Amino acid sequence: MSAISKNKTDNKLLLALALLAILPVMLVSSGKAQAKKIAGDNADVSTEVVAHDADAIFSNKAFFTFSVSNKLDAEQAGTVGYVVTTEKGERVAENSLKVNIAANSNKDIDFEVPALAPGFYKINFMINVSDYDDTTRRAFGIRPKEIQSQYPRPADFDEFWQKAKDDLARVKPNFKLIPVPKKSTSDRNVFEIQMQSLDNYTIKGWLTVPKTKNPHRKFAVLLGLPGYQVDLDPIVGSDDDLAIITLNTRGQGTSRGPIDTRRDEFISYKLEDKERYVMRGVIMDCVRAIDFVYSQPNLIHDNILVSGGSMGGYLALAVAGLDNRVSLCSAQNPILCDIRGLVNEVEWPITSIKKYVATQPGLTLEKVLSNLDYYDGKNFAQHINAPTLIGIGLLDPFAPPNNEYATFNLIPGKKKIMVFKNLAHEISGKYKEWEGRWMRDTFALF
Amino acid sequence: MIMKFYKAPIKYLIAVTSLFFLVQQKSLADGFPLRPGRLLLNPSISYFFANKGWDSLRALRAFPANGQFTSTTFTLSAEYGISRRWSVVALMPYVSNTYQQTGYTSSNRGLTDLETGIRYYLANINYIYYFMLQGTVITPMYVNNPGLGYGLTGAELKLSFAGSGHLFGANDYFTIEDGVRQYFGTQGPWQDRYSATFGLSLDKKFKNQISVSFGGFYSVSDFKKFNVNPALDKNFAFNQVSLSYGHAFSKEFSVFVSGGTFVNGRNTGDGSSVSLSLILRPFK
Repeated sequence: MSAISKNKTDNKLLLALALLAILPVMLVSSGKAQAKKIAGDNADVSTEVVAHDADAIFSNKAFFTFSVSNKLDAEQAGTVGYVVTTEKGERVAENSLKVNIAANSNKDIDFEVPALAPGFYKINFMINVSDYDDTTRRAFGIRPKEIQSQYPRPADFDEFWQKAKDDLARVKPNFKLIPVPKKSTSDRNVFEIQMQSLDNYTIKGWLTVPKTKNPHRKFAVLLGLPGYQVDLDPIVGSDDDLAIITLNTRGQGTSRGPIDTRRDEFISYKLEDKERYVMRGVIMDCVRAIDFVYSQPNLIHDNILVSGGSMGGYLALAVAGLDNRVSLCSAQNPILCDIRGLVNEVEWPITSIKKYVATQPGLTLEKVLSNLDYYDGKNFAQHINAPTLIGIGLLDPFAPPNNEYATFNLIPGKKKIMVFKNLAHEISGKYKEWEGRWMRDTFALF
Repeated sequence: MIMKFYKAPIKYLIAVTSLFFLVQQKSLADGFPLRPGRLLLNPSISYFFANKGWDSLRALRAFPANGQFTSTTFTLSAEYGISRRWSVVALMPYVSNTYQQTGYTSSNRGLTDLETGIRYYLANINYIYYFMLQGTVITPMYVNNPGLGYGLTGAELKLSFAGSGHLFGANDYFTIEDGVRQYFGTQGPWQDRYSATFGLSLDKKFKNQISVSFGGFYSVSDFKKFNVNPALDKNFAFNQVSLSYGHAFSKEFSVFVSGGTFVNGRNTGDGSSVSLSLILRPFK
């Protein structure tokens, strides 16, 4: 019994963290086809698309089965087909077949998509028959490990960030740990963290620590990083092995202070100047949080998991790429990866950025993109030595799989990617379960 | 005549002692890595009873003259995590055996074979299934007392495969082990000791669990005949099944109750056993 319980992970707790990070960005429909009810009749037509690979990743050609269930008393005649486009919407393949589906019957139609170059593609399956029409959106990949970014890393990328770290080092952290008994639970103490970060900005966050009778007990650390414009709360739970830090980086939640933008404007705050762009401070806030861990004698300094979703995933990659004190990196649906590749591919954040460019006299998109080269997730990835886990959704409209893989492929160390073929900007509980087991094994929290 | 009757209990003793080691290892869910710095203590008491046995041709016969063998074993086993991959293990049994038949009683008691070993966490599959390797040295803690064991030093190499998952909406685990043991010295037996356990948690908080086990020994030696010295009888085999219930009072203290019975054998007794085992984690 003991061995089993020691292998258990407080998955609910980790899942809660991920949801906190991801939910505010917006959950996007996976595009699953829903049966259309026929008026006055309980029977209907429904469809299902099944990729012939668990992750919808193929080596050359893609294979799908399109299943139609006709519960009507009438034959359904018409067409079933697909259209394949690149992530940017260029049509690369299509096919359409005439079908006759007898009354009260099922029909499976196998599709073989012609060979395509490495990359991810969107595929829409359409059915247009006598009493029903619908479109099911899916995506698939062809040899994604061969995906490479077309855009180079700035030659002075490392110098740029070394200067940022040097600037941070000159700021006295003045760490404060303030007990918050009102938020404490029967098994965890809750503290508010305060620290000075880059530009002497006051950053706040939360630390929850399991209550223990052993004054010498030290805890591994889960550092939870925030999603876009998320106000993270302290995370409590039944896990008695982990100290959990939730960080509100500048301009977010309890760390708004001087940077208090409207939601849409945060992503482009001072983007015209790469030295003053808000993300420079945000990323340094994460590095400062690692400094905080190192300042605490009851935390295990070489057992730090940084984890986050969406912007939190991006920040996890960034801090792991800049700070080798990170032990494990877990990034779910990280945004801002292979940023130039996002142009004409995603709505957000490119629309917000373009809107900002339009309001700044003399500022061009190219100038902004050249600044963003210093903040591109893929450019941090090249220096990530900590074992890294990335989770992606193939239908993600903000962090498309091409961009995620372009980043993942650059990580030189141990790495794993979990692909969720039917999910958008989200990951499933399987990710959190695996992350928990991985973390516990690595930190020997058996 | 007396010697012949006396021979059987000794084999039971050897078998029972080892079998209860198996039961205790189940309680510890052997096969999973142990946290560095953590100590697991597993004191236990077990009682074995037999009044019949299988002969060398696997024929089951009652002991003559209403003979019956009982054995009470006190065992303390421990495992200490050294690092993520390494732990040390030790096991020390004390036994008290009695063989009675009409007009005859014989007893033995004392420390038996000390087992000390080191366990290495070889690999895992998806952090769910674990492979462990353990090397153990067997050291007799008695001299010239064939009633307590072979009196030979031995060594064992054991591979275990363990995992956990979900079944019927509950958490489950399994452990499969196989250990190959060689006792050194003249005609020291070679033994294969195997077991498989499946356990199911009865609640989400792992407060209560049940498990079933199947295990056995297969012992081979060049010495195939019975001898007036019973400890020299080294050819036997058996299989047993057991059922165990465990309750965790806290993360530091669990209690297991087990019952088991032999299902078949050769040249060994056919008995049943019950045991009470504690698991303590004194330091956290």
